[in-house]
Amino acid sequence: MIYDLFPLIWSGMITGCLYALGALGLVMIFKCSKVVNFSHGNVAGLTAFLVYGLSSGMLLSLSWGAAVLLAMLAAIAIAFLIYSIISPLVFESDLTSTIATLGFGLIAQGVTLLVFGADIVALDLPIPRFAISVLGLLVTGYDLTVLVVALVTIGALFVVIDYTKLGIAFRAISANPFAAEVCGLNLKSVHYFAWITAALLGVIGALLIVPTTFLSVTTVATFMLQAFAAAVIGGFASLPGALVGGILVGVMMNLFTFYVSPEYSSTFLLAAILVALNIFPNGVLQKVGGSRV
Amino acid sequence: MSNQSTHISTNESVLMRLTGIATPAVTSGIVVASMILMPFMLGGSWTFTLGLCFANSIGVLAVSMLVRYGGEVSIGHTFFTALGAYSVGVLDTRYGISLWASVPLALLLGVAFGIIFAWPSRNLHGIYLAVTTLALALAVPEMINNFDSVTGGYEGLYVATPLIPGASMGSQRYYVALAMLVIVCFAVSRLRLSRQGMALLLAKTHPAAADAFGTRRVWARISIMGISGGIGALCGATLAFSGSTVSPGGFTFWQAIFLLVGSVVSFYGLSLPRVLLGGAFVTLVPQLLSASGAWIPVFYGLSLLGMILLGHYMPRIRKTMSRNSEVS
Repeated sequence: MIYDLFPLIWSGMITGCLYALGALGLVMIFKCSKVVNFSHGNVAGLTAFLVYGLSSGMLLSLSWGAAVLLAMLAAIAIAFLIYSIISPLVFESDLTSTIATLGFGLIAQGVTLLVFGADIVALDLPIPRFAISVLGLLVTGYDLTVLVVALVTIGALFVVIDYTKLGIAFRAISANPFAAEVCGLNLKSVHYFAWITAALLGVIGALLIVPTTFLSVTTVATFMLQAFAAAVIGGFASLPGALVGGILVGVMMNLFTFYVSPEYSSTFLLAAILVALNIFPNGVLQKVGGSRV
Repeated sequence: MSNQSTHISTNESVLMRLTGIATPAVTSGIVVASMILMPFMLGGSWTFTLGLCFANSIGVLAVSMLVRYGGEVSIGHTFFTALGAYSVGVLDTRYGISLWASVPLALLLGVAFGIIFAWPSRNLHGIYLAVTTLALALAVPEMINNFDSVTGGYEGLYVATPLIPGASMGSQRYYVALAMLVIVCFAVSRLRLSRQGMALLLAKTHPAAADAFGTRRVWARISIMGISGGIGALCGATLAFSGSTVSPGGFTFWQAIFLLVGSVVSFYGLSLPRVLLGGAFVTLVPQLLSASGAWIPVFYGLSLLGMILLGHYMPRIRKTMSRNSEVS
């Protein structure tokens, strides 16, 4: 039993990186526009299907790279469209705009069904297949690809947010939208930046998760639900928290399904969310602080 | 300036006179009366569908209650409907006990689990609670399938014990649902006038004032979750009886979202005609679009967005129009 522990933690970390990619998108949107984007999973699923359709000859038979490029452009366009429609709501009520994103999620799901049908398809990554053994740990090409892509993407995201003007504007708006607006920042354009970046992170996450399962209408949406849990456990307003939350959820889910029961994974996730929110109301990375009256 | 105010007041008085004739109680009365007569005019399948409409209306009401009195959005109410439906289903198929005992049990379980869920989530608000209820909704089908010795798993249960032995089952399935809807709506309208209801509304709109009056926020949250959970369980119980089958397919995550869509479409209304509108939307759209299943989510999504945008732009359009008419 104990010998299984390290491989389980390793593979949990790999999936955890993907949950983190999804969670980072959710957190980016939430941090600046205070909206929880429930359409994230379904839109990412639609774009994954788009990659499949464009590269398999169903719609077009392009190379994998060109298909991904087009799908990313589509993701940008969809994110732009969604934010343009709900932007008047965003400044009025965050809960109403959150419900509105559910509507977009339903539409994205329906469009996927209409265009690609309810079939299950396989969508693989064009990576070399190999497996090496490191200290008794079987590391596959897929694992390394996920790790490298996730690290590069997350690293690039943090560099953009920490060092570029856009990133500083993003942080300013997240910290205090009113003051940021007074200083002459355009809230909407920074919101667009966050929504579009989140959509791209979603596409990357979806493409990386699909090879482990098959691609169906619900695969990516289900995957994003773990990302929701990761974001909640990480605090929903903290980007490093999303990363930590993602890896935590990945490892915990893996250990739970192996040692306890694979049938109660959603129930376990619910319990984990409730426990985490009670012990760390602001996420695992936040210090629990009291307030003085 | 004075001109404008007189204009508005005359406008309002006309409106008041018009709406004064059709007070909510009278509208509800007319709706209920016409619903009582419906089975005599419609065929069996439509009567069945209308029964499901009533049941879903109760579910829509449960979601709207939470929004109106608690200010919170739930996308996990299938948990409570499943609870109610399975208490009716299990008591019926395993023990042959009719609704007389299973509906009170469903209500009790719904309230109890509403409170049990509310306690660990008592300090969560807005989106945090919404995401937690989302996790709750996802856990439901899994729980049903894993307790298959009780719940019948994928196959589900068939509810066949009549409430009143001897009366025709078809009309019972219809009238029980209608009666449940009327009773729940009446109870909710009474709650609005009660001290409890006032305290809940105060805790939602002015938390600080409610604190000062001794209504604690945690108490308000737990009691509204209990009430909403109880109504949700009644929806499930009615759904089980009127729909005659209980299976996990009726309590998926999407069903929970559809209940929320129904609530938004009825503008979170708590009156009988409004919730009936929401329930009809939840029930009839899948029926009408059953030939082209993929259009159902698209249609739901579009109407959800349409209603939200309408709610956002309507006051503005009305304002501009009244301004324009004043200018001309």
